[in-house]
Amino acid sequence: MQKVIGETKKAFLTGNEAIAWGCLAAEADMMFGYPITPQNEIMHYWTRLAPKYGKEFLQTEDEISAGFTVCGAIQSGIKAFTATAGPGNVLMQEPFGMAEGMRLPFFAIIQQRGGPSSGTVIYSQQEVSLTCYGGNGEGHRIVYSTATHQELYDYTIKGFNTAWKYRFPTYLLGDGYQAKMREPLEMYEPSERGIDIIKPYPLLGLEGHIGTDREPQHLRNIYSMEEELYDVVLKNDADYNSVRQEITEYSEFNCENAEVIIISHGVVSRAAEDAVKVLRAQGIKAGSFRPITLRPFPREQLLAVLEKSNAKKLLITESALGQLERIVKYEIYGQTLPIETLFMPGVGIIDYDIIQKIKSII
Amino acid sequence: MTEQPIPRLVEAYVGEYASGKSEIAINRALELTRQGRQVTLVDLDTVEPFYTLRSLKEKLESFGINMICLSAKDAFGLGETGAMLNPKARWALRHEGDIILDIGYGVYGARTLNLVEGANESDELKVMLVINYSRPMTNSRERIKEYINSFDRIDFIVANTHLGDQTTAEIIIEGNQEILAVANELSLPVAYMAADINFAAELQKHQFLVPVKFINRYMPEAIWS
Repeated sequence: MQKVIGETKKAFLTGNEAIAWGCLAAEADMMFGYPITPQNEIMHYWTRLAPKYGKEFLQTEDEISAGFTVCGAIQSGIKAFTATAGPGNVLMQEPFGMAEGMRLPFFAIIQQRGGPSSGTVIYSQQEVSLTCYGGNGEGHRIVYSTATHQELYDYTIKGFNTAWKYRFPTYLLGDGYQAKMREPLEMYEPSERGIDIIKPYPLLGLEGHIGTDREPQHLRNIYSMEEELYDVVLKNDADYNSVRQEITEYSEFNCENAEVIIISHGVVSRAAEDAVKVLRAQGIKAGSFRPITLRPFPREQLLAVLEKSNAKKLLITESALGQLERIVKYEIYGQTLPIETLFMPGVGIIDYDIIQKIKSII
Repeated sequence: MTEQPIPRLVEAYVGEYASGKSEIAINRALELTRQGRQVTLVDLDTVEPFYTLRSLKEKLESFGINMICLSAKDAFGLGETGAMLNPKARWALRHEGDIILDIGYGVYGARTLNLVEGANESDELKVMLVINYSRPMTNSRERIKEYINSFDRIDFIVANTHLGDQTTAEIIIEGNQEILAVANELSLPVAYMAADINFAAELQKHQFLVPVKFINRYMPEAIWS
């Protein structure tokens, strides 16, 4: 295997490039894609890098096709992936649903842009509901929401492994700002960090005679009878719940003795942590809680933080009109502390915005 | 007709994402403006027209630069029009005085120069390639060579090695040395090397074979940059 990164060193990159390099480091074989801002440079860079490392790329006629070609390639044992945004994410929900139904190790990068419809090309956190709970229902997914370029690289590598290990479609949820920002990060060979890259394996056309040598592979996205589907959905749910805790990730910052806890995700959590530093310096006891996996959501971890902090208020802030808020409210059902919100749909949130909001609510 | 007492400068800055094209172009425009020259700064990024100099337009105008660039107001209502050429940018070379062009990234970005009337015929136009050694595609001599050779035309190199907020004098010096070595090998002139003004004291202790320009960073003010 040709080393793609070589010696670990710091590099100055846009987020989309960090992802393309992450895909190479994760030993991905092939990207299928259709252009859409703000994920385009993932494709651009992959197509620049691909010929040098013996990788493949196919631009399909649309996002529906890009998603289904990934589904097909994966079944033949190719580590395939795609990347999209906004209206492309909407179109890909049909193949994503197939990946849920057939338990395909599908890895996709979503760079959120404004909505509804084509919205803006620029930035938002408005694809949370769609990315976490899209498809036609009852599917199980894993969604990592990143905040830094280092995480874009790290979670691209991790995302492929998660998909191929657990066989649930896995998403890296970024946004247009993360896509275009320039920031230093450390690129490394996964083996140097003790990360074993899971090799792809074919799901179809396996060795041996069915019935004597092995069980048949039932990769199905349609069932004749409701009882059949019922069993499959319950089994998938049980599988998901059995690994939920080991997949769940979160981070907390200064939550000890915090009287107000800011809940945010992705790039906005950087502003939240900056706000906490300023507020603490001014004697205001603020803390920050950030789900890294939006699905599965770190429910028990958030409840534990609320318990130990003695928080009197929550502030949920996001560049959307309450998509994270709906998840949080559902997950902590039964808690009675007041929840305040700072929603700036499709617009960046900086520490100043959060500081002003906190001061107005305490 | 106004007479130009000295020949005007027409410089087009090309390079990778995050090479520092826009920052170098802004600083060059400001440098010339401070010398009392009439300067037009043209945002010719047709690849991603909404992520470029837009948020800095008013500020740069207040410094006396004539900006050809979409403002938030100009872009309002356009939606996602893909590759879009600001009509004013097409005729940029007809403006009097110095012209600094900030070009979209990469080889295809450089080809958008074809869209500027008179660019191909101009003997004033110089194509300046900005190289940052901290970029993976230009982080070895072989890769820099391969990268330079992918362009149709380069007149000068600008060595601009940096690592954003994590830049050190060592990173600047070591990276730029490599860039200078390749330029020398390819017989390409290096116009200058650029470095964040915060490193002026440290870098002035060293001797360099090319002029050093110290720059202020404006791009971090754009929220997404």
